Amino acid sequence: MKSIYLGFKGQMIKKGAEAELYLIDFLGLPAILKKRVPKPYRAKELDDYIRKARTSHEVTMMFHARMCGVPVPAIYDVDPEEGVIIMEYVPGPTLKELALGGYDVASLFRLVGFYVGKMHVNHIVHGDLTPANIVVPETEKPFFVDFGLAERTGELEAIGTDVHLMLRALESTHYNKVKEFFEEFLRGYREVVGARVERVLKKVQEIRRRGRYVEERRAKVY
Amino acid sequence: MRKVVVLGIESTAHTFGCGIVDSDGSVLANVNDTYIPTKGGIHPRESSQHHSDVAPKVIRKALAEAKLDLEHIDAIAVSLGPGLGPCLRVGATIARALAVAYNKPLVPVNHAVAHIEVAKLTTGFKDPLIVFVSGGNTIIAAYSDGRYRVFGETLDIALGNLLDTFAREAGLPHPGGPRVEELAKRGEKLLKLPYIVKGQDVSYSGLLTAAIRLLREGHKIEDLCYSLQEYAFSMLAEVVERALAYTEKEELVLTGGVAVNNELQRKLEMIAREHGAKFGVVPKDLAGDNGAMIAWTGVLAYTHGVTIEVEKSYVRPRWRLDEVDIPWIQGADDKEGR
Repeated sequence: MKSIYLGFKGQMIKKGAEAELYLIDFLGLPAILKKRVPKPYRAKELDDYIRKARTSHEVTMMFHARMCGVPVPAIYDVDPEEGVIIMEYVPGPTLKELALGGYDVASLFRLVGFYVGKMHVNHIVHGDLTPANIVVPETEKPFFVDFGLAERTGELEAIGTDVHLMLRALESTHYNKVKEFFEEFLRGYREVVGARVERVLKKVQEIRRRGRYVEERRAKVY
Repeated sequence: MRKVVVLGIESTAHTFGCGIVDSDGSVLANVNDTYIPTKGGIHPRESSQHHSDVAPKVIRKALAEAKLDLEHIDAIAVSLGPGLGPCLRVGATIARALAVAYNKPLVPVNHAVAHIEVAKLTTGFKDPLIVFVSGGNTIIAAYSDGRYRVFGETLDIALGNLLDTFAREAGLPHPGGPRVEELAKRGEKLLKLPYIVKGQDVSYSGLLTAAIRLLREGHKIEDLCYSLQEYAFSMLAEVVERALAYTEKEELVLTGGVAVNNELQRKLEMIAREHGAKFGVVPKDLAGDNGAMIAWTGVLAYTHGVTIEVEKSYVRPRWRLDEVDIPWIQGADDKEGR
């Protein structure tokens, strides 16, 4: 099924690593058209498969998240074959931009933690949880975007990886505020997840030890 | 300023190396001896025994190549980690002994920083996004505000370990990585394998398990090597592209032992071009673990006041890249992280 909006080109507002975002008009509403572009470095059959799978997956996961009360843009239309999603336009800077701009975003991190907790207890793992994938509209809740790598799972491993990704993004980009931001995140997260947060944190620690300097580990495993 | 000459010792894993480099960045000597296990992977004890055996010969050869005596060396640099404890201790013991016997300052060097610095030296890049891939490391990093920050990495095994372990399981002779690359060129069919990217990280252990399973099922080795490389490198390329878009760096550099792989180079070069970034690769003789990169990083550190007392020069098997202060880079990028 083809989207009636294919072939339409609005104004490109962002060229990310994976997709291009266009601001278009959808039945009189401002909307985002997200197009996953072919990647020449990947074998074509692999590339086609990944773009199609991620597009349909992203829509499904955004729907699930929205049903759980997590702020995500509403889906208007989708065409997996073309790698196109049309969704609600949520205007605003990303949490990354706000934090780097020196704004006081500590309380936002508490809200982010709260909604990530909501996702996790509902067995949704975002898969690319960073401040760059959180849009903050004026006087509103933080909106989560980029669900292409999301998973429907309640496994501690996947949940721990999600939290690890957020922490690592803080370490690489917001290194002077890691402790403050992460504490606020955990405060909100704990409100939803409760005592289980300790198990998640233990898993995060285990994950972080695993990937780094496996020379030491390899000697034992192989 | 007078020219400074540093002797560097590398012994983090299977290579014992000694390099001599001056403050112009000229490599005066780079002598390396790699332990090759008769079967299986690296056993730390056997590898460290190898290092003890070859160390005197390697160091003498390096000095002869550089036409220098130890008296002419300004400082002794040593890779204190990350790496295998028993192997690290061989290099550290020798470096301490040389420092004490010849009354030279001892300079601690982080192995990952050394792979990065030697790539910057040889490509001339100033502020690149770095892709460091070897038997034990898969790291995407960039400098920001005093340190190299990690933007992506493997969640389990390293890229080189993936290729080497698969090669070993397939009965391919050492070195495994280049053999896989050769066979992959004759692969025709892309077999289905797991493609696992999580945020800016990759996970290779599931890919290894699946590839070994297909191997046992009797698929053609050429197709398997092609598919394994295609999946492994595409996963890495994807997170590299994401990090490049995120950091907006204008240079992309590939370093570490796996950097010699042409197919990986080709994929990353495409990404660099797409994002208008320059692309560079560390030269082959400085890609794998080597003494010269330790010596060069030793030059940078020593000329910026970094030394360590012999009594405190413990090895650090888990010394993380982002724990190391980098005082020799100034004003490269102080935009982020306020």
